[in-house]
Amino acid sequence: MPNGLISRKSIHDDAASGSSTSYTCTHCGCLCDDLELVLSEGRVVEARSACETARPRLVGLSTTPAASPSPRVQGREVGREQAVTEAARILAGSRAALVMGFRRSTNETVRTGVALADRIGATIEVGDEAASWPRLAAMQRVGSVGATLGEVKNRADVVVFWCADPMTTNPRHGERYSADVEGRFVPEGRSGRRVVVVDERPTATAGGADVFLKVRPEAELNVLLVLRALVREVPVDAHRVEEATGCSLADLQGLAELLQGARYGAWFSGGLAGRGPIAEAESRHQTVTGLIRELNRKTRFVAVGLGEAGNSHGAESVLAWQSGFAPGVDFGVGFPESLPGESTAAGRLARGEFDAAILVGGPAYDALPEGSRARLATRPWIFLGDRDHEAFELATIALPSATAGIDEAGTFTRVDGVSLPVRALRPASSPTEGEWIDALMEAVGLSGRDAGAPGSEAGR
Amino acid sequence: MSSLRIAGGRIIDPANGVDDRVGDLWIEDGRIVAAPADPDARADRTIDARGYVVMPGGVDVHSHIAGSKVNAARIMRPEERRGEDRVMRRWRGFRSGTIGSVPSSFTTGYQYAGLGYTTAVDAAIPPLGARHAHAEFGDVPLVDKAMLVLMGNNHAILDALREDDPARVQRTVAWLLDSAKGFGVKAVNPGGVEQWKQGGGRIAGWDDRVDHFDVSPRQIVVALAKAVDALGLPHPLHLHGLNLGLPGNWTHALEGMKALDGHRVHLAHVQFHSYGGTPEDPGGIDAQVGPLADYVNTHAGITVDVGQVMFGDTTSMTADGPTGHYLANLLGRKWYNHDVEQEDGCGVSPIEYQDKNFIHGLQWAIGLEWFLRVEDPWRVAMSTDHPNGASFRSYPDVIALLMDKNLRDESLARLPEKVRTRSALGDLSREYSLAEIAIVTRAGPARILGLLHKGHLGPGADGDVTIYAPDDDRRRMFALPRWVIKGGEVVVDDGELRSAPIGSTLFTELEVDAATRSEMGRKLAAEASFHPSSFGLGLDDMAEPRAVSRPTPG
Ligand code: SF4
Ligand SMILES: [Zn+2]
Repeated sequence: MPNGLISRKSIHDDAASGSSTSYTCTHCGCLCDDLELVLSEGRVVEARSACETARPRLVGLSTTPAASPSPRVQGREVGREQAVTEAARILAGSRAALVMGFRRSTNETVRTGVALADRIGATIEVGDEAASWPRLAAMQRVGSVGATLGEVKNRADVVVFWCADPMTTNPRHGERYSADVEGRFVPEGRSGRRVVVVDERPTATAGGADVFLKVRPEAELNVLLVLRALVREVPVDAHRVEEATGCSLADLQGLAELLQGARYGAWFSGGLAGRGPIAEAESRHQTVTGLIRELNRKTRFVAVGLGEAGNSHGAESVLAWQSGFAPGVDFGVGFPESLPGESTAAGRLARGEFDAAILVGGPAYDALPEGSRARLATRPWIFLGDRDHEAFELATIALPSATAGIDEAGTFTRVDGVSLPVRALRPASSPTEGEWIDALMEAVGLSGRDAGAPGSEAGR
Repeated sequence: MSSLRIAGGRIIDPANGVDDRVGDLWIEDGRIVAAPADPDARADRTIDARGYVVMPGGVDVHSHIAGSKVNAARIMRPEERRGEDRVMRRWRGFRSGTIGSVPSSFTTGYQYAGLGYTTAVDAAIPPLGARHAHAEFGDVPLVDKAMLVLMGNNHAILDALREDDPARVQRTVAWLLDSAKGFGVKAVNPGGVEQWKQGGGRIAGWDDRVDHFDVSPRQIVVALAKAVDALGLPHPLHLHGLNLGLPGNWTHALEGMKALDGHRVHLAHVQFHSYGGTPEDPGGIDAQVGPLADYVNTHAGITVDVGQVMFGDTTSMTADGPTGHYLANLLGRKWYNHDVEQEDGCGVSPIEYQDKNFIHGLQWAIGLEWFLRVEDPWRVAMSTDHPNGASFRSYPDVIALLMDKNLRDESLARLPEKVRTRSALGDLSREYSLAEIAIVTRAGPARILGLLHKGHLGPGADGDVTIYAPDDDRRRMFALPRWVIKGGEVVVDDGELRSAPIGSTLFTELEVDAATRSEMGRKLAAEASFHPSSFGLGLDDMAEPRAVSRPTPG
């Protein structure tokens, strides 16, 4: 079936020497699309508007294609066709394959990846699943109340950074979206906003805040619960509050009042909604939403993630539109199922409940715990990614792939759901992940995996 | 060259004045063609349609099938997509998926086609959401898609209005539509969403003022309708007015129509805007379809789709953020809200319409009253405002009710007594004919949309055809077409998917000059959270783009 895949222009198409060209940076959740790369003699010589995190990763990059590396099958260099044939043989013979990764893949690639997982009845998990599961579980219970970052830029007169330090992790967040930027209803910029930092210790971000509240990671959930109660105007006991939160009731009351006094407030936190125990991440997310919803009875308030490098949010979105679930789906029975904790790909990998695996992108391998890497080594597995990544040497079959933002163009989705074009800065020397997956799909064929009753009436 | 002959069917093609006439249809290279002069001419394939009813493919003028709010609803509601009867299984090269009230993308296309629908319009995409929505369209097969772009709270439009610059409003409309590669213009709670975001007092009347921009909803819709007409867009302004869902809102619906006198306008999900009573006394709610339908009947420029409510579990989703907020709190259900810069955002909540609930029963009756009280079926379109009133999958049930007064009476008898006294449904004896069903489900919506190549079976029309086995059980008849043909290809045969071409994305092609682009880009740069060069979409960003020709303005 045609799937309407999209081809895009790369910046190298119109980049003569010495020219500058607009570029989207993928190195943190800000997904800044306002960079200008200055190119000269086959290199990036300057990255205008880039922060100090991004600049060293961009300046010096070659704008001419590197030599094309060969795929590997069990360490041997082979031609592309042979690699695809052998990989497809593994997949076609599998009964419980895992498809994982897509942390820095384009949305276009994820579309093909989900198609492959569906075709072979695999369990797929995309993006930063450890953070996504608790966030989405909370959303499934209570919803979520958010906004695109432009709303924060233009409207927010109160900005909260909850147990996060964007000055360090998302350096341009303040100047582009939140604390410092000038907006339609906040023409003064920083002086038109109250900035609150809650964290375990004073951070770079806290240094610029109007209010800093110190909270131990273990007490984060309790602080959220108390804030929600205060906004709800539920009576609380000062002594018990102090015991549970380590904060004085007066401080928390002051904060609750500041939040309620916002015209439009914005609450930012990282993927796990704090630094406290990961087991409480879902509860923290849920309580943040409860608090924000409560605030919306009195004023406007939204909660937005800070986001992470790459395209986890885009991957999650694509999987959801194609299957109905995110961030993980089991296609094993012939239709999508999603049971958090039970049928996740990461869980299956850790328990050894798989007979083949595909990892798409190096960051997926980097995120694996030791035990899971050891499990992986006991089964045939296929790696799609950079020739220079360690996984390339370890995989049963390694397919060298272009990298989005370097030699592949496509679409990424920002943490606030805004999809943006990502441009390539040089022609590809390898197929893209999506092209490899398309080739695998073709080679796998239909493979006799039809499941059950056909037709448009199925499920009526 | 591939050709298909549909032989001997009972053709119902109201746009061409054909009502149940036995004859042949020829399709060549995806388009309907005149029957060849040579009586011995043979087609590559012939369908023996003798005894079957042949209609154009269905056209949905108002639905929510793609984009971030639709996808958020999927993610938020795993509970309605678990279990064997809520999924589609992988089969051959077709994709598996989940159904619920908001089906996954491939399943959306398969399910629409399974009902004989071959075109669907997503009615609420914010300009900034277009990139995502178009990508999703690329995974919705079998139906041609189009999107209406939200503009009723757009900052660039409101700025131009405040500065009393109608020419700039028109330029902005063209630029937004072109940037989003949209098909038509939508306004949702004009001014009211912006006001809610600002935290100001609620916009409740057409002459209330939106803070900061100092404009009224009346000014917004009149300016948009003028721009739509001046640009000669195929589809009129598509309006979701004020106070959706609130008792007493029928007066605002009437006032809105009067405000737009002299302009073309399409009123969306008008059922949700036809309530008597007052906000202070919600118990006094009743059906006020009568005066509204009378106005529609006597004013030619107005069309409506109904937004029929059917009983069961579904998901409410709206670009009308304040209404979404109100509803979530009223229902005490989970609430997804997402404000989008420049324009609107969305609210999503689960909702269950219960036949024991007086209000829900009344909503059901009000929707049916609309179908039965608009005299000219060309001006009222089938919709459930999918998934708001119900899933599009319940269209066959709505059709059955329209065709059968007894069925309506039986259903009405099961509802709370007050539904019968507060609505006149029981007095309406009209029953739709097959030709009228063909009008409200395809010929009419196609005409309302201005799609000259849809909704009819004359030469040049798209080869989108649905063939039904006549059946006294109308629900069954319309739920299970015998064949569905998309662009000349048989895609459903006896309830089985046969192929799944992706379908086109219909959009309105507009010329936007370089000066306008740079003017708009500068304004955008100041306010947006992204670079202006990331905003506008090109044909590369669309699945099978197909420009729709515009009728001559005027
Ligand atoms: S803030 Fe993040 S996205 Fe922006 S330039 Fe720095 S690393 Fe790149
Ligand atoms: Zn709608």
